[in-house]
Amino acid sequence: MILSQVFEFALNQAVRLDEQQGQVFQPLNDKVIALQLNDLNTTLYILFTDYGISVQNTLQGEADAKIETTLTDLLAFAQTGLLKHATYQTDEALAETFVNALGSVEIDWEEHLSHYTGDLIAFKIGHAARSMMQSKTAVKQQIGDTLKEYLQFELNALPTHSQVQRFGKQVLQTQKDVEALENRIDALSQQLSQQPASPSK
Amino acid sequence: MSQHKKTIDFGFSEVPLEEKVKKVKGVFDSVADNYDVMNDVMSLGIHRLWKRHTIELSGIRPGNAVLDLAGGTGDLTKEFAKRVGKTGRVVLADINESMVRVGRDRLINQGIAGNVDYTITNAEALGFPDNTFDLATIAFGLRNVTNKDKALEELYRVLKPGGQLMVLEFSKVTQPLLAKAYDFYSFNILPKMGKLIADDEASYQYLAESIRMHPDQETLKQMMLDAGFDKADYLNMSEGIVALHRGWKY
Repeated sequence: MILSQVFEFALNQAVRLDEQQGQVFQPLNDKVIALQLNDLNTTLYILFTDYGISVQNTLQGEADAKIETTLTDLLAFAQTGLLKHATYQTDEALAETFVNALGSVEIDWEEHLSHYTGDLIAFKIGHAARSMMQSKTAVKQQIGDTLKEYLQFELNALPTHSQVQRFGKQVLQTQKDVEALENRIDALSQQLSQQPASPSK
Repeated sequence: MSQHKKTIDFGFSEVPLEEKVKKVKGVFDSVADNYDVMNDVMSLGIHRLWKRHTIELSGIRPGNAVLDLAGGTGDLTKEFAKRVGKTGRVVLADINESMVRVGRDRLINQGIAGNVDYTITNAEALGFPDNTFDLATIAFGLRNVTNKDKALEELYRVLKPGGQLMVLEFSKVTQPLLAKAYDFYSFNILPKMGKLIADDEASYQYLAESIRMHPDQETLKQMMLDAGFDKADYLNMSEGIVALHRGWKY
């Protein structure tokens, strides 16, 4: 019950703050999407009406479309806009419409903030936040590159990309060789078992 | 039950059969304006969770027709209306005009309009054709009905085949210690709170007494089966302070 309430609140807030006021959800009106979260072993039913979005745990009858995914993937989707592991069932196009609509929600925080602080302060906060995000991304990238170089060249602890590829190919080749050898041994064993036993002296 | 006698319970007192409707009306006329505040104070806000759970279990969907009998100030109606959308319909029905008026104004103020009808009706003689609703609910109302068996029969009649009745009502507390604390609260604190908030001690004394006179979980389940429901079960909430009975018509 708590999960459905949290989902309902989050979805309606997203629609409320969206630049387009959730127009992208219009094609879903009077439809029901079942969202099966495999890691929580639960299904949420998302109802779309003119009044907004409602979420509940049970539904009489079948949903119009079903999406099978995990909460982890869904949370990642909220950050990246990409739902990596999901299967769509029943009306697949409708399920896709929902995921695309969710991914296209754009919240202009600066605009909403300006109602409380005024345009100037909202712009300054927005500008500071954007600068911080850009710095964070740049620092993250730089730390990653430095760490990679250090491990690969200074410590020689990690293989390079080409080394990994070469190693992978060698493993595949070894696997094929082992399979061939196994087949050869099987064939030889069969030949041996088919030969008549030599008479004992 | 004293349905075959000429008197019936009104809280802990016995009143002539035809008097109960008037007396219940008097109680709810008196509490209508403060009903929501009192519900929050009385239940410490838990009534919202009980109702939310009821809505979740209803499983309704856009396009459904719902009867919210004894709908009072429209807590359930509001949520049902949002879920059934403009293609569905919710009827808020109550015997008490004051409660319906408060509920109607409140819902309209909250932007719920167009798919909700309001009607003043007696639960024992519902003015709807047979097989009308996908879902019927009666939340905290059945205990005030004079002839509960008749009301259940009527609810069964107006449900569509496959439809579901949900009865949310105070019931028998299953935990002995909690039962004692609950009794103390109901008869000593609740009426005083009624006096303090709504300046109406007597009405809240009646509410407490009527809860004790209401059939327990198993009795009500059997009453539903006797009224014609093909299947019935119940779910205790908060250790049985409230029970949600569900009946299905196949």
